Amino acid sequence: MSGLLIKNAFVIDPISGVKGEIMDIAICDGKIVEEAPRDAEIIDAKGHLTLPGGIDSHSHVCGTKVNFGRYMSPEDMRAGRTARKGVMHVTSGYSVPTTFGNSYRYSTMGYTTVLEGAMAPLEARHTHEEFTATPHQDMLANTLFDGNWSVMEAVREKDVKRAAAVVAWTLSAVKGFAIKLTNPGGTEAWGWGRDMSTIHDVVPNFEVTPAEIIGTMIRANELLNLPHSVHLHCNNLGVPGNYRTTLDTISLVPDLNKDRQSLYLTHVQFHSYGGTTWRDICSKSEDITRTINSTPHVVMDMGQIMFGRTTTMTADGPMEFKLYMLHHNKWSNHDVELETGSGIIPVYYSRKSLVNCVMWAIGLELALLTKNPWQCLLSTDSPNGAPFIKYPEIIGLLMSRRFRENERKMIDPRTEHFVPLFAIDRELEWYDIAVMTRAGQAKALGITRIGKGYLTPGAEADVAIYPIKPGEIDPSVEYQQVVAGFSRTLYTIKRGRVVARDGEVVVEGANSTIWSKSNVPAEYDMGSDPEFTRKFEQYYTVRMRNYPVQEVYLPRGKMIASEAFL
Amino acid sequence: MKFLLNTGRTIRQGSFVERKNSPSYQTAAATIFMNPVDMLEIMVEEGDHVRVRSDVGEVVMQVSPDVGLPRWRVFVSLGPYSNHIVSAETHGTGMPDFKVTPVSIEPTDDPVLPVGTLMGLCGGVPYED
Amino acid sequence: MKIEDVVCSFCGCLCDDLVVEVEGTRVISVENGCTLASEKFLGDHRLKTPIRRDGNSWTKISYDEAIAETAEILLDADRPLLYGWSGTFGEAQSVGVHLAEILGAVIDNTSTVCHGPSILAIQEVGHPGCTLGQVKNRADVVVYWGANPVDAHPRHMSRYTTYCDGFFRKDAFKDRKVIVVDVRDTESSILADEFVKVNPGGDYAVLSALRAIVRGKRGIIPPEVEGVSREQLFRVADICMSAKFGAVFFGVGLTMAPGKNKNIRNAIEFTEELSRHTKFTISPMRGHWNVYGSNEVFTWISGYPYAVDFARGIAFYNPGETTSVDILKRGECDACLVVASDPGAHFPKECAEHLARIPTVQIDPHVNVTTHLSRIQIPVAVAGIDAEGTAYRMDGVPIRTRKLFQGQYPDDFEVLEKIYAIVKEAKG
Repeated sequence: MSGLLIKNAFVIDPISGVKGEIMDIAICDGKIVEEAPRDAEIIDAKGHLTLPGGIDSHSHVCGTKVNFGRYMSPEDMRAGRTARKGVMHVTSGYSVPTTFGNSYRYSTMGYTTVLEGAMAPLEARHTHEEFTATPHQDMLANTLFDGNWSVMEAVREKDVKRAAAVVAWTLSAVKGFAIKLTNPGGTEAWGWGRDMSTIHDVVPNFEVTPAEIIGTMIRANELLNLPHSVHLHCNNLGVPGNYRTTLDTISLVPDLNKDRQSLYLTHVQFHSYGGTTWRDICSKSEDITRTINSTPHVVMDMGQIMFGRTTTMTADGPMEFKLYMLHHNKWSNHDVELETGSGIIPVYYSRKSLVNCVMWAIGLELALLTKNPWQCLLSTDSPNGAPFIKYPEIIGLLMSRRFRENERKMIDPRTEHFVPLFAIDRELEWYDIAVMTRAGQAKALGITRIGKGYLTPGAEADVAIYPIKPGEIDPSVEYQQVVAGFSRTLYTIKRGRVVARDGEVVVEGANSTIWSKSNVPAEYDMGSDPEFTRKFEQYYTVRMRNYPVQEVYLPRGKMIASEAFL
Repeated sequence: MKFLLNTGRTIRQGSFVERKNSPSYQTAAATIFMNPVDMLEIMVEEGDHVRVRSDVGEVVMQVSPDVGLPRWRVFVSLGPYSNHIVSAETHGTGMPDFKVTPVSIEPTDDPVLPVGTLMGLCGGVPYED
Repeated sequence: MKIEDVVCSFCGCLCDDLVVEVEGTRVISVENGCTLASEKFLGDHRLKTPIRRDGNSWTKISYDEAIAETAEILLDADRPLLYGWSGTFGEAQSVGVHLAEILGAVIDNTSTVCHGPSILAIQEVGHPGCTLGQVKNRADVVVYWGANPVDAHPRHMSRYTTYCDGFFRKDAFKDRKVIVVDVRDTESSILADEFVKVNPGGDYAVLSALRAIVRGKRGIIPPEVEGVSREQLFRVADICMSAKFGAVFFGVGLTMAPGKNKNIRNAIEFTEELSRHTKFTISPMRGHWNVYGSNEVFTWISGYPYAVDFARGIAFYNPGETTSVDILKRGECDACLVVASDPGAHFPKECAEHLARIPTVQIDPHVNVTTHLSRIQIPVAVAGIDAEGTAYRMDGVPIRTRKLFQGQYPDDFEVLEKIYAIVKEAKG
């Protein structure tokens, strides 16, 4: 038995209803317990802010396109590098760090669980290999179905059960966690150099619309009883006027699950633009949040952008090409047969660009105008809006009006005519931040059932202790201390073991990969469906038997099983 | 006579990569392909030996006709024989000029050396399996 | 015993539909494979035990001795070079990178004399590509530029392009136009609908001409560009622009020719130019079955696909300086570990001479040209036959190779782990 006792912790644990109390946390064998073993090691938290380990519910850290972002960007690799030291491996990279770089940086920020936002099933093995080399965080993979031929055929036949069966087979084969739709229909259209411009456009050759794909998949997801909801990157990302697409999409969502949302909308900042061109682009955060506030069964994450250099990467191939036409920097694209696409380009978000300033404001507005923090989670769609190391600064901006006003002086002065940000007085509180960086994620992902996101007995002992004494600082004034505090924990504890201390990584780490398996009746097992297998062998370039990710790729796999209602 | 040497993969060379001490590999890697008109000009026939010289070295190979090659261009499969005469200069790219080495070619009666012997000339010690 | 869906560990096509019959520890037949696959699976010419050069002769030694001496050579070196990696699986490559990290060594893979220039070009302008199934199901135009698939990737045309029917191409041979660009006639150029024969070193100019035509500047094209007539250039550009889905595949005919990375940059920008009109993609024809895996593994650990120098503690990358041929030419490294490749055969003579001068250790199942230059060779199991692990196909699709039988040899991973353990112990 290995024990740990954290004494005098200032705990905020929203899931357990703890809103800031000095208490002790007892840990035994990786779990939170009532009482620590007698010989437990003791950490005196001295009243510092203590939260469940951070959870990122949408980040791009592992897999084919992430690695290609590194591969094509030696300039980014040079921009952040550390030498081998103690248990730490060499790291490289600023916006797309190497796997160990990601892991150590997240760890020193108190993050213990990260969801990779987009995994192409055909290339899942790659994602899992990189997961193993990201040792400090438990990892989950959103699995792409936006252009999946078998799904689109089922949608066309209005056969939601068959769509569900395809999802079940695929998630189980590739050890994925949840359904991800990235520009549904658009990635298939991009196979011919085309795209979708509304959710009612028809996908060439498949005769289905994005709206039908989204609607069917939401229902299929609930038939499979999966922990997370459908995770959607809406059509028309980054296009002026796209807020209408986003609102149209939200209006499709039925309320089907009593424990969590029925749809997770990711990086909504990129989907909240008014105007008709880049000249008159404006914020529609008020329209979006008004709808979110009245639609409790939808959860979103911010997709905040922060000024500076970064790399954009997404399964949304056509969007990246449009972005390339604007930036004329380098462009990579990688379409994946029968499934999805992807693209990468480096960008620089400038304070001198009015468009970038509007984007920056929108992300913050989404968080400040959403009444219920459980419905708007903190993210940058890392590294698309900014690398995740910027989260502490975003927390500072959300907690301090003064910080926002100071930033206002440095950005394009026209910005205020296009955004409501500077009229918003709201300053978020410690509790809101705790929800938006871990508890909300745990609930939205449906992983509280495996002990994630809270600190009462039975939970996984993932804990972050920050050098912040909430009673003693005023975040609205001393926001720089907030930023510094969230950048570097005093202790990051993963499964009961201190993994990082004062910004230093102290163990090599050994993570788990969390995946979902929905058990379907035999007649819905696509593995023995003649039509499915025939098409598989005919149109894929990999044999069906060589497609599934073998157990060996998940040395510490953690399966969340569910029973499908089929 | 002056030629431009090109090198590349061939299926024969590829077939014997795991038997590099074998006569078959030697044949695949030490054959120089030449336009038949050029062969007439330097007065060699298929299978004859030629000495191929570049700025960095020389090596003996056997000649074979290839009508698909333009005149004054020769082709050798990638391998130790062609590399015996390709320069290691990369012009800062990491990649030698495998496709365009100026060479001169003349007939010879000297033998084509086995791979091990050729590496012996580079300072190695032949290993016979 | 017949084993189905076997993955071929020869070229970058990584075909995974072979049927291999095994008896004990011997492969007795191969179905579906090309000549190269049959040779590989049926070949039985392994080095039996580790060997060491003692003066002018060779002696057999044990694995323990060979591993201990290798570790000692690496620990003694001031500037070791760890080269090769493309002929082994990802898990072994990963140990290799960590070994380089702890030694402060340079680690490089065979891209350095293959598609290294492609990587340099991609780092300048990016890479609009796709998986091979996109081409198989959609492409109506396929361009092979400086590539000879019939010889180097024998099933590329039948599995992915010319002869392969797809979802939107029910009769591929009829529905698809094939363009081959090369400096000489090849087995592949015979199969082309349009063969463009370019003067050696003329690719850059021809690509520039095609880009100009796609941009609508036909008027500036001279009657002939590097051996290619204006009429043919117009014809090729028209075929490409009227494609519904075009795919360019390029080989070392472009990466090694004068212009090198700039040729590739031009080819990528040609593709990008075409993407403004229609759907076009471009892909390198990667040579070794797992050379792309070595790029992937190097990248997620160190940040760079090849030519990584850990001498400063951090990962440093400067192709042209930290690439193997340059390091060997300068006589800079004082020990070399060669894993799963054959620099003796594929590097210029000056490099071979330096390999012979310094202690060179080779980990490889077969006697090859590098053997004669080495001090020690450690035979290992052959990945895809008696060892298994992850490989990345030329388009980035990861496939796990199969182990067909349990043989007598340790695999690369096991041998490297042992070397790593000794080095780690010594380095603390």
